[in-house]
Amino acid sequence: MSIVYQPASYNHCIPHMQSRGSDGTRLRWLTSLLLASAFLPSAVSASTLSDAARQVAHKIAAVTGPGAVALEIVNRSSLDDRSVSEVRVALEGQLHAEGVREAKPDESVGSVQIVLSESVREYVWSAEIALGQDQHRVVLVSMPRPLLSGTPASAMPLAVRKTFLFAQEQPILDALVVEMPGGPRLLALDASQVAMYRQQAGHWELELSLPISHSRVFPRDLRGRLLLRHDHLFDAYLPGTFCRSSGVAPLTMSCSDSDDPWPLTTEEGGVRAFFGPARNFFTGTFSAGMGKISTAPSFYSAAALPRSGYTLWVLSAVDGALHLVDGMTDQVVRGVKWGSDLASVQSSCGAGLQLLVSESGDPGQDGLRAFEIPDRDPVAASAPVEFDGAIATLWTESNGSTAIAIVRRADTGWYEAYRISIACGS
Amino acid sequence: MMQAAPNALAIPPNEAPTEYWDSARILALLTDNLVEIDAADRPQPALASAWQSEMNGKRWQFTLRHGAKFHDGSAASAAAVAKILGELHSGWIVRGAGDSLTIESDSPMPSLLAELALPRNAILKRNPDGILIGTGPFRVAEFQPGRLLKLAANEESWAGRPFVDGIEIDLGRSLRDQAIAFELGKTDVIEAPPQAASNGGRLRTSLPVELMALVFPANSRAQDVRLRDALALAINRKPIQSGLLRGAGEPTAAILPNWMTGYSAVFPVQADVTRARTVLADSRQPALTLSYDPRDPQAQLIADRIALNAREAGITVQVSLSGTADFSLVRIVLPSPDPATSLREAARELGVPQPLIHGNAVDDLYAAERALLDGHTIIPLFHLPVGSAAGARAHAWEPARTGDWNIPDVWLEAP
Repeated sequence: MSIVYQPASYNHCIPHMQSRGSDGTRLRWLTSLLLASAFLPSAVSASTLSDAARQVAHKIAAVTGPGAVALEIVNRSSLDDRSVSEVRVALEGQLHAEGVREAKPDESVGSVQIVLSESVREYVWSAEIALGQDQHRVVLVSMPRPLLSGTPASAMPLAVRKTFLFAQEQPILDALVVEMPGGPRLLALDASQVAMYRQQAGHWELELSLPISHSRVFPRDLRGRLLLRHDHLFDAYLPGTFCRSSGVAPLTMSCSDSDDPWPLTTEEGGVRAFFGPARNFFTGTFSAGMGKISTAPSFYSAAALPRSGYTLWVLSAVDGALHLVDGMTDQVVRGVKWGSDLASVQSSCGAGLQLLVSESGDPGQDGLRAFEIPDRDPVAASAPVEFDGAIATLWTESNGSTAIAIVRRADTGWYEAYRISIACGS
Repeated sequence: MMQAAPNALAIPPNEAPTEYWDSARILALLTDNLVEIDAADRPQPALASAWQSEMNGKRWQFTLRHGAKFHDGSAASAAAVAKILGELHSGWIVRGAGDSLTIESDSPMPSLLAELALPRNAILKRNPDGILIGTGPFRVAEFQPGRLLKLAANEESWAGRPFVDGIEIDLGRSLRDQAIAFELGKTDVIEAPPQAASNGGRLRTSLPVELMALVFPANSRAQDVRLRDALALAINRKPIQSGLLRGAGEPTAAILPNWMTGYSAVFPVQADVTRARTVLADSRQPALTLSYDPRDPQAQLIADRIALNAREAGITVQVSLSGTADFSLVRIVLPSPDPATSLREAARELGVPQPLIHGNAVDDLYAAERALLDGHTIIPLFHLPVGSAAGARAHAWEPARTGDWNIPDVWLEAP
């Protein structure tokens, strides 16, 4: 079976593939190594391993009875050497408690080969027990495998800094952190809810879930936006749907069908644009217009760069071009190798306002880089900060000085929210 | 491949893997199942958005997705879905009312979700011309049996409209023809040998989701279990895997692959010709005929090698496609990440009695699989992945690790 696609009606974001040199490959390899050697083993608690060791020792002893056996342990799982050593110690201790002691083959009544293995769901330990020529038995123990739930915050000393906030399996559309009585809260928007998390002992724990009701079908590549508000906590924009939170406790949210335009800036009363209710892009029609410009080509994202006397808008258009709209003219820039996600952030560095731009859209690795546009030509202002997956979304946060990047990890498929800021120097 | 009529898109029993993948991948474009099972064996919502079981798994209640429609505009209501599933499963009592659908059985159905996720349980009906009508992201625009299937984007797909406007599927092309068309840029997605997929780039391989095995029918002349035991001991799998299969797949003595069970190490794969000869000592055994699937390009060479291995143990095996075979070299698909469901499907495909799985623990699964393999009427040989490749203009090409394709999520870069 072979397949030919007909022309696209609409697309995912544009991935202008930037060629990557050896540095990118090396960085990715190093990151993977860190995950394999440091993160995975710690995800399996010592008590879980000890409990499994107790179970398998008990099953072995039930077959062999008290006595001496030759014991071999083979690791075919993702457990690291340290964890395997812990398993060995625990197993020997538990077997000893059951009256089974380890001996050389010629001094034992039988042999036990334990294989530490795993399926996609669980760790599986098998023990093949041979007593004499004819008696062979197999006993099995399983325990759930933990899923990767995130990565530690980055401490890379780059001009563009990323701080890990939160991860979940379902696509995150937008997220923000808000200071509230009792401590900061994280709000995460996905296709089904706005979830509020409270920081507890260094982790975000679910405090409240506000379901999103909608009568219209959401598009395949769903987009959404969360914005803090002055008279109530937040507004949530989804294609064809608008949700508004209550302003007083207890926090509630009401949703309704809506074709109202989405804000393009974090300030209330700023420029708004209509978002295609069945698409993943803005239609190009503005509610109030950008100066004399009331329409533009359809675009995925937009960023505002205020100048003296006017605002320069940068639009990442669906046709792959970059549009610089200053209220009077719409300058088209083609061939710029940028991704489709743009956001502007304020800083105390350089021109005081930078444009964050996603790089490749490569599902394996993506980057985010700061640019400045002193005149009409973008100038790179930072080295890229890398992510182990594709940037799915980039929005300026309500404070204007940070942005939220949502990344889909290539290895786990989970979605991670990062807070992005600009630091002076490199 | 799909040669005959529109209903050739249905899943026939005892099909070869090629037909299975063609049918399953096309059905996934046209239809939905109530639920899906991901590669980690977790149920995911599809046409049903929620579910719960009662009465120790004898009764399941599903909440259907609101507003889902068939391609003909009719509602994919619980009543409509109940009618389709009820006709597929006479042993189930299926009722639908409002958005609630219930499935009941006299016995517990612990693997019902995995069963419902199989391609044969796709929610599907036909129009008077026999054209398939589903709720999936594409609808049939044109069908030329055995040649061409044109699909158009379903604007009202409950999962959102696909990115592309349509798809043309060339049917009945050999892997070689597909590869040539791919090299010439005439096609966007093809099936590819897993050996080719190891080259990287835009080629992808799945987890091992196919089983190659030897199967002895009830009327085989190999009635003596010692003969089958000796043959299992004589086969040297590793050279076949590294040579004839060019490194693809994994030698195995288990029906289910390790990624499903985690315990395949307890089924040893090492050949032991000396022990095979010992098993056969002082017995007179008949010469055996081995058949294979002539459509499988590697099957004849592998069958010849097995005959050679058998001869080293003193067993006479003739490879032949004519006459009654004493055993066959077969390749089947393990269609579900749920190991219990794949074990049942494997037993069905291999023509052996259904396994008795008494519980959900790994010991219960192992006991059932061990029972199927005792007596060596099935000799597993290799677990094999499937490969596929996508051209440079197709983005978001991320085939599932289970071998399924994610066609509706693929998009094309703006020209």
